[in-house]
Amino acid sequence: MHTVYGALALAEIAIGALVVLRLALGPTVADRIVALNTVCTQAALSVFFYAAYTDRSIYLDVAIWFASFSYLGAIVFARYLERELL
Amino acid sequence: MKTAIVLVLACVGLGFSLSGAVGILRMPDLYCRIQCSSKTITMGALPALIALVVGEGVLSSYSSRALLTAFVLLLLNPAASHALARAAYKTGVPMWNGAVRDEAAEARERRDRERRADQDENQNQDQEED
Repeated sequence: MHTVYGALALAEIAIGALVVLRLALGPTVADRIVALNTVCTQAALSVFFYAAYTDRSIYLDVAIWFASFSYLGAIVFARYLERELL
Repeated sequence: MKTAIVLVLACVGLGFSLSGAVGILRMPDLYCRIQCSSKTITMGALPALIALVVGEGVLSSYSSRALLTAFVLLLLNPAASHALARAAYKTGVPMWNGAVRDEAAEARERRDRERRADQDENQNQDQEED
């Protein structure tokens, strides 16, 4: 079971690395925010599986932080864009 | 048996995450990319988290955190996607050339036309009263 978790963590990191390309390319700010959001979610998932892989449940709090605050960031960025402050 | 369920759920999650990532890379404009990104979360992250819950048991410390994260993702992801798409539309992020219709712009035009017609009518009435 632990090998499955390790492989899953690696696969999520690989998928996140694909999206980083869009983060680098993205023609507009909003494109980059979408990509950043997806990368953050993939990072949270990989931290979850890494925690299960190494049997350290203390990493789970990091994953929760990642998952919830990336959305807070997206909403704040959207608000800035809408008010034309960025 | 448990390993099989975990593997199936994880494969579903990874498949959707991968297709969402390819979509974010390849889609022609921002609005399509937002759609891909939100599919990545709902069908990609939730099965992976449920796989963790099944694999570690429902009463473990992993499953409570995984379920909490799944709930937060399910709640915040549509809101964030909506806010982002709305902000992008308001700041004039261009649509793809092949986009067929823009219902928000059509509705705005219709509203403007009605308002103008109302104003004309009011002016005519004022002139008649004079």
